[in-house]
Amino acid sequence: MSYYSSTTYARRRTGMTRGYNSVAFTSSVKLGPVTHTVLVALMITVLGLIYLTQATKATSYDYEAQKIETKIAELSTEKTDLEVENARLTALDSVRNSSVARAMTSPGAPQHVSQ
Amino acid sequence: MPFQSISHSRIRMLIIASVFLMAVFVVRLFYLQIIEHSKYSILADAEQVKRLTIPATRGEIYMEDNGTPVKVVLNETVYTMFVDPKIITDPEAVKDVIRAVAGGNAVDGFAKLVDKKETRYQVVAKNVTRRQAELIKKKELAGIGFQAVVRRVYPEGTLAAQTLGFVNYDQKGQYGIEGRFDKQLRGKDGMLQSVTDVSNVPLTIGNRNVNIPAQNGANIVLTLDRNVQAYTEKALSDGLRKIGATDGSVIVMDPNDGSVLAMANLPTYNPSKFTKVTNASAFNNAVVSDPYEPGSVVKTFTVATGINTNTITPQSTYVNTDYITIDDRTITNATKGQTGTISIQHALTWSLNTGMVTVAQRLGGGTINRQARNTMYSYFHDRFHLGQMTGIETTGEVPGELIPPTAVEGNAVRYSNMSFGQGMNPTMVQVAAGFSSLINGGTYYYPTIIKGNLNDDGDIVPAEQKKPQENVISASTSATMRTMILKARREFYAGNDRKGYDIGGKTGTSQDIVNGEYTFDETTGTYIGFGGDTKPKYVIMVRVSSKGRALNGGDHALPIFTDISNWMIDYLKLQPKG
Repeated sequence: MSYYSSTTYARRRTGMTRGYNSVAFTSSVKLGPVTHTVLVALMITVLGLIYLTQATKATSYDYEAQKIETKIAELSTEKTDLEVENARLTALDSVRNSSVARAMTSPGAPQHVSQ
Repeated sequence: MPFQSISHSRIRMLIIASVFLMAVFVVRLFYLQIIEHSKYSILADAEQVKRLTIPATRGEIYMEDNGTPVKVVLNETVYTMFVDPKIITDPEAVKDVIRAVAGGNAVDGFAKLVDKKETRYQVVAKNVTRRQAELIKKKELAGIGFQAVVRRVYPEGTLAAQTLGFVNYDQKGQYGIEGRFDKQLRGKDGMLQSVTDVSNVPLTIGNRNVNIPAQNGANIVLTLDRNVQAYTEKALSDGLRKIGATDGSVIVMDPNDGSVLAMANLPTYNPSKFTKVTNASAFNNAVVSDPYEPGSVVKTFTVATGINTNTITPQSTYVNTDYITIDDRTITNATKGQTGTISIQHALTWSLNTGMVTVAQRLGGGTINRQARNTMYSYFHDRFHLGQMTGIETTGEVPGELIPPTAVEGNAVRYSNMSFGQGMNPTMVQVAAGFSSLINGGTYYYPTIIKGNLNDDGDIVPAEQKKPQENVISASTSATMRTMILKARREFYAGNDRKGYDIGGKTGTSQDIVNGEYTFDETTGTYIGFGGDTKPKYVIMVRVSSKGRALNGGDHALPIFTDISNWMIDYLKLQPKG
């Protein structure tokens, strides 16, 4: 069985026609079928690795986002806790029973000045 | 040659074996990925795709505080602490930390629960705060876990309990604003559907991720003023204690727009401890849900009807004998001795029933005929809105009862009784709103407790209010009524009023029904009045009662009115005349 590579270029005949410019491209590297297969496999592997890198990178952002969301949730809970604490401390009963309020005296009837 | 032949044969066999093996893989993969695709797809989704509910935050409730909204109902995240006794390595340390940190939140007998090695889940403390949970987590003890629970917080305790309502263990609003606006407060849960890792972290792989954000509940701002509400409750509590009564209600309204500034009821309860209530009637807002015969406070409505129909004037006279007969019934005055020819103003001031029956008779040209009854019903029901729902935005409102003249019971005797506040059952909010229209220039404002919603920017989006009913009585009739009601108070009851202000009011006392019959041994006292400077700024209605007690408007309800009224003058910074 004989095999003719598609990448094997036949040497062009020189001096075809007078006054006719011609350029010959001749590859000195000859690639066989196994090489082709390996190259294709390598390209697929590289593409796969690129895909995996990107996917992993995207997933790493998910973890970052999750961390931030968890932090937001924690801060939000903390804020709510502080609001509740504030509401409890400023509730009328709390204010009325505070040491400051206990030290106060009841106001007398206000006097109005007519102009 | 034989060697070459053997070699080719082996290669061929290897190729055949490889091709066969590959074919097996291809067939198997074809089976798994094509034929059984949907089955394994479902299994994979079940394993990898999670559907998480994003809970909506329940809306908060605000009251006014001198024009600034303040939170009176909030949400708090607390934790239920549980243990897995089987994996606890140091039970004594766990017990110590529960005792030291969870303290009063620990459930009874938690120590025994920790020792139940045969079980995997035991709740040992409830309502643990975040700070407590963090302190316990720092101990890094095996077998302890926390489950977050959102609970409703009422920092003002019992303040306006019946108006606010509460949220039950199913997270459903009950009674008051919580019940009426449960759907709006609840909001709408969101949904997150995503591929997750083993730790349930959502990943942005796949094309079927869904993220529907939660819509938090509306933040509702009430017209109730926290300070007015608190003082009203204190005045009611003090007043009831002084007279030894058990039950009482007060409503404070702005007569110029119908907004309710306070609604107080005793006995009351703490919404965060609703399970400790033994008598469910404490949940009811009697101001809107308990119709009763208000008694003589209704005389103001009868007089206004007479004046607005040009049937009488305050100076119109009649001969008072302390008795008046309608059909087969004789109606008497509670206060006797003001006999002779007296004016309607005098009858109102002395709260004489005969005077009001006389007005009702004059509406019909001398008898309480159909014309008189139609006129009274038209004013009481259609203009002053007695005996019908006001539409106030809370649960439990009832229409009460006002018998129309078309009914068999709507006879002359009934309407003669109605002229002085008996034989009818309006609620306090109906009477207060109707009374407001008598003294505010003649406009009926539908009572409301909703000011609006608080948006994310902290601004109040005003609630849509019902269109007021104008000219229920004329402005001149209203001015006359203000003067008459002022005189009625000044004659006997103005001793403790702040000088320089217009404060008017009317007493009411009605018999209660005991064992199906009216009795003088148990009566309900009512007082309704207004106060202001150049114009009325507030209307206050007080109702007091107690089982087996004969309470009246003048001695028992009026002092509570006076207490609140004098405080309101300072709070609203009203300027005295002169």
